[in-house]
Amino acid sequence: MMNLDEIFVTRNWVGKSVRRDEDIRLIKGEAAYVDDLDMDCAHVAFLRSVYAHARITKIDTSKAEALPGVIAVVTGPEVAKQTKPIVARAITQPAIQYVMADKKVRYVGEPLVAVAAVDRYIAEDALELIDVEYEPLPVVVEIADALKKDSPLIFEEAGSNVLLHDTLEHGNMDAAYQEADLVVKEHFRVHRYSSTPLETWAMIAKHEKGNDSFVVWANDQQPGRSTANVCNTLGIPNNRFRLIVPDSGGGFGIKLAIWPHIVILCLLAKKVDKPVKWVQTRREHLLGGSHAPDCDVEIELPMKKDGKILGLFIKDIENDGSFVHTAGIYGLIKFATMVGCYDIRATRAELLSVVTQKGPTVQNRGVGKPTMIFVLERMMDIAAKKLGLDPVEIRFRNFIQPKQMPYTTPSGEIYESGNYPECLQKALSLSGYDELKKRQIEMRKNGKYIGLGISAGIEPGTSNLGYYYTSRGVPEYMGNAEGAIVSIDYDGNVNVVMGSVDQGQGHATTISQVIADMLDIHPERVSVDSHLDSLVSPFLGHSGAYSNKFNDVDLGAVIMATKKVRDKMVRIASHVLGVETGGLQVKNGAVCSRKDEQKSVSFQEIASLAYKKILLLPEGVEPGLKEIAYYKNPMAKLPSRDDFNVQITHSNSVHVVAVEVDVETGEITFLKYVIVHDCGKQLNPGIVEGMTIGSTVHGIGAALLEEFVYDENGQPLSASFMDYMKPLAGGLPRIELAHMESPCPYTLLGTKAVGEGGAIGSVAAVANAVEDALSPFQVKVVSLPITPQKVVKAVKETKEI
Amino acid sequence: MIPSKFEYFAPASLAEAVSLLSKYQEEAKPLAGGQSLISLLKLRLASLKYLVDLAGIAELNYIREEGAGPSGTISIGALTTYAQIKESKLLQSKCPLLPQTASVVGDVQVRNRGTLGGSLAHADPAGDMPAAILALKAELKAVGPQGERWIQADDFFLGMMETALSPDEILSEIRVPVLPDHKMIYRKAARRPSDFAMVGIALCLKARDDQTCEEISIGVTGVTDKPYRAEETEKRLRGKKLEPKIIEEAASAITEGVDVMENMHASQDFRSHLARVYVSRAIAAAGIRS
Amino acid sequence: MKVPVEITVNGTRHRSEVEPRLLLVHYLRDVLDLTGTHVGCETGLCGACTILLDGEAVKSCMMLAVQANVRAVETVEGLSVEGELDAVQRGFWEEHGLQCGFCTPGMLLSAHDLLRRSPQPTEEEIQRAIHGNLCRCTGYQTIVKAIQNAGDKMRAGKPSAASSSPSTRGRR
Repeated sequence: MMNLDEIFVTRNWVGKSVRRDEDIRLIKGEAAYVDDLDMDCAHVAFLRSVYAHARITKIDTSKAEALPGVIAVVTGPEVAKQTKPIVARAITQPAIQYVMADKKVRYVGEPLVAVAAVDRYIAEDALELIDVEYEPLPVVVEIADALKKDSPLIFEEAGSNVLLHDTLEHGNMDAAYQEADLVVKEHFRVHRYSSTPLETWAMIAKHEKGNDSFVVWANDQQPGRSTANVCNTLGIPNNRFRLIVPDSGGGFGIKLAIWPHIVILCLLAKKVDKPVKWVQTRREHLLGGSHAPDCDVEIELPMKKDGKILGLFIKDIENDGSFVHTAGIYGLIKFATMVGCYDIRATRAELLSVVTQKGPTVQNRGVGKPTMIFVLERMMDIAAKKLGLDPVEIRFRNFIQPKQMPYTTPSGEIYESGNYPECLQKALSLSGYDELKKRQIEMRKNGKYIGLGISAGIEPGTSNLGYYYTSRGVPEYMGNAEGAIVSIDYDGNVNVVMGSVDQGQGHATTISQVIADMLDIHPERVSVDSHLDSLVSPFLGHSGAYSNKFNDVDLGAVIMATKKVRDKMVRIASHVLGVETGGLQVKNGAVCSRKDEQKSVSFQEIASLAYKKILLLPEGVEPGLKEIAYYKNPMAKLPSRDDFNVQITHSNSVHVVAVEVDVETGEITFLKYVIVHDCGKQLNPGIVEGMTIGSTVHGIGAALLEEFVYDENGQPLSASFMDYMKPLAGGLPRIELAHMESPCPYTLLGTKAVGEGGAIGSVAAVANAVEDALSPFQVKVVSLPITPQKVVKAVKETKEI
Repeated sequence: MIPSKFEYFAPASLAEAVSLLSKYQEEAKPLAGGQSLISLLKLRLASLKYLVDLAGIAELNYIREEGAGPSGTISIGALTTYAQIKESKLLQSKCPLLPQTASVVGDVQVRNRGTLGGSLAHADPAGDMPAAILALKAELKAVGPQGERWIQADDFFLGMMETALSPDEILSEIRVPVLPDHKMIYRKAARRPSDFAMVGIALCLKARDDQTCEEISIGVTGVTDKPYRAEETEKRLRGKKLEPKIIEEAASAITEGVDVMENMHASQDFRSHLARVYVSRAIAAAGIRS
Repeated sequence: MKVPVEITVNGTRHRSEVEPRLLLVHYLRDVLDLTGTHVGCETGLCGACTILLDGEAVKSCMMLAVQANVRAVETVEGLSVEGELDAVQRGFWEEHGLQCGFCTPGMLLSAHDLLRRSPQPTEEEIQRAIHGNLCRCTGYQTIVKAIQNAGDKMRAGKPSAASSSPSTRGRR
């Protein structure tokens, strides 16, 4: 943490729930999402595979091309000839996949043919005229199918459906097993789900015939990476591709890998004399718009009888579906903080990424941490039960203590600060835990089953994406960094351009608060463009919105650029006022003498010199007041197998939940939901609260409702919001939120991760509460989601959800 | 997610609508609120050449009482929306089952557009209104080229989205009896509040002060390919005292003779179980005299 | 074959010739260029396309444009008067009732439908009233507060409580 006095000249805005600047245009319906951009476009529709696995024997598009209004058509085989395969990152086996299906299809929904027509109505009409012949192949749907010796191969060149198999061990696991009084083991199955933002993927591509270049407007969440991937896949120089990201209707990770479709749109745009637009249908989104993988996790805790955990083993098998780009990532990031909030000195993680005929996967909110915390926090309850300990007590006995901070996990991740025991204590008292326990006993007498669930979770931030390459060797991308440009305009107002993008997180408001306090001006004088234009925005190879990195490196870049501008203004003021820079201060939108505030020059006057009266500038000062800064968190280091320090900040939270389970109908009703959350310094508590609650509801949906279900032929059964059930306003708890504040010593403002935490902690807490409610029936929760059907069946017969 | 092309008609009278349907037969379909049909058209699951929009026919939207006393009835025009039914004071006081059921159909937007006639003619196997119509033993008026005819609710639902209406007939009116001494209840099991029923139970029950069941009718939805009357369960309760054991025994017959549906949300077993639980709870709730 | 329609949108009467299969949401977005009404699911399950038809909330992706013939449509663009946020919009702004904003126009119009029928709704009534509107960002809690806030404002008869007009200086 920097000395805040070096950053701020006032403390008027940071830390306050300032209303969001972004909201006005959104509330008035004046936002400009991709589909709203006023352009004369051709519209694209995709014909997609109806088989999960099949060889393509014929594609005949002649009838479609003859339909009046159809402008251009591209097929998978044509695209494969013109592009390089999709780049893989984490997997070690070779697997060749193109942005469209080439010789065979590997999942239902894989793009086969793209049609551009004068409007979307005709584009869809044309799809019905395309003749595709398939030769169906045997399918591989579930992890167990993929692992069978004689399993059909999805990528023949890989020689296996396991594309990554690695074991990472830190500390002495063998000793942990030897010293243990017992080993608690369990096997969990976590389902497939996804954030499914309300706005689907959308993009417009335009080909500039003059210089054979492309301009693309897309709701891309990681434009830095996409720019590189599109150029590489198309085989074009970087300066022939310009990416613009306008307003985006939610991301949550799901828009991190839309670039393969940008490639397709570019190829279509080349054939058409005007821009081509594609807005993904919801069905397309649910089929192939990326999911969090389902997974199988075996877990073992060697323990002492007093509840002390000596080691942690997981065997984590991810069903990464059929997208080589992201395959393998989940296991690796899960592993980075696998010990959660606990002082466990030895870990072993055996990680497998398998391909199947399910849809593509991508980094979904919390990337693997919701699952890791689910299995770990379930294990705490299961171990407690085995040892006759209270679930609260076993957590207290294993927590990392505040005096151990900064704490280095066996694998090398550094937890910078936090007070986990106090966080739990606070959550217990806020929820009236003891009262609820009493009520539980009372209600059971009347045949009512209420249960209490606790989870303690870690929410890391600012991921060093170099970890993707852990099993392959040297990373192609690494570092925890971002860029920003800050300028003072003619009027003395501030303009900010980011290297990152916003999908609803309120970046612009937060940035304007920070700059307002750095320059002592009203935030209304700060205009932030949180959109991106690759021609002007200061982006890096991994720039984008991911891993809760905003209030670390994104803000870091803003602060550094603002300081540069401020220093320059002070230097100019010094010349104008004839006062040494050391004798000057920034106050109320001006630079003035510390001794005599009457000696003052406003930002506007300084800007006038910098832009217009250039010859009056002091010697050696460049004209203009625009500064660029790239900020790398100084703690970042190259991740390696031995020192797997991937993330910089670590927020933590405790969720306490009370539910009532109707054992006849399987219905689950919330009685209480309390979160105590520690994300270090809060810059805008309203924004933090909004994201934390929204994120929590997301996890509740994952725990109880949402699931991508496939039948044995690999046909997706959750292809609309009818069957892919997101939470509605009813049936949710009223979430009570309280905060602690353990500032992060490694970020400029003491901030930590915000955004994913709710989704990480809630899944486990809800599952623990349900199991507790059903304890009179000896039901164990080892899978998700917890549906009414599973509850009733478990109570009546199987004793297992 | 775009409908195929079709030709559109907006007749101003029922007669005109019937003549269009009789001209185009299977190639045409009447459109009411469109909350089911538009969806099918967009998915291109239903394709048709001619769409006959009934919205312009003013004579199909009303709720009115006919006759008075125990033999009285209430007539409801087929284009009356769920929202109108939910908010109708007349129905709330004289046939509360309909407003109660309508209030849990879909969401506000669906209830503002969707119509009673549309729901019944569409005959979704998990629709809510059909269960209520069965429990009320309503009569349905169909108007076709040969004039009008009345169909008993019990005879109306034939199978998966299949009714007794012929392609050139339009359901124009639903007539329900006024049942002053009956308890009426609709109970629905759904994953989320606005979802289709995994099981829906509509119940009309007349019980004496001593809890003896005098008359009962039960409409069931969501369980099989069409909504149905739970006749065996009714039979086991008629004339009996509404005691837990009797109710349980009667509830166990709720899916008797029925081929129970199965999908990702509910297996056959679970659905049958839910039907038993929900009918028991509905009866228990209705059997207690207030 | 195109058919003539006459639809009043936000108080302005529009005459157009449309294909019968044209969805109302596309009529609003593509023909009238009113892009505040969004498409989130196409199957009538997310409510992002909610508008008011003769004052009642309906999903414009579940309707044909021809079905709105000679009727009155209100969209999000018609809510603010002379640039001033109306009570519901203001409630959403004050209570942080949105994040990405994609569901917001539909939420605003569902809120209008509710507050017209029930000026002082309970928390549960509000939840029921927005069952047809999905939001992934907020978890609904602040949306419920926003609608309560709007109800309070409307009952107090001050559609725009504050005198200062919020700026729209944020760049689009």
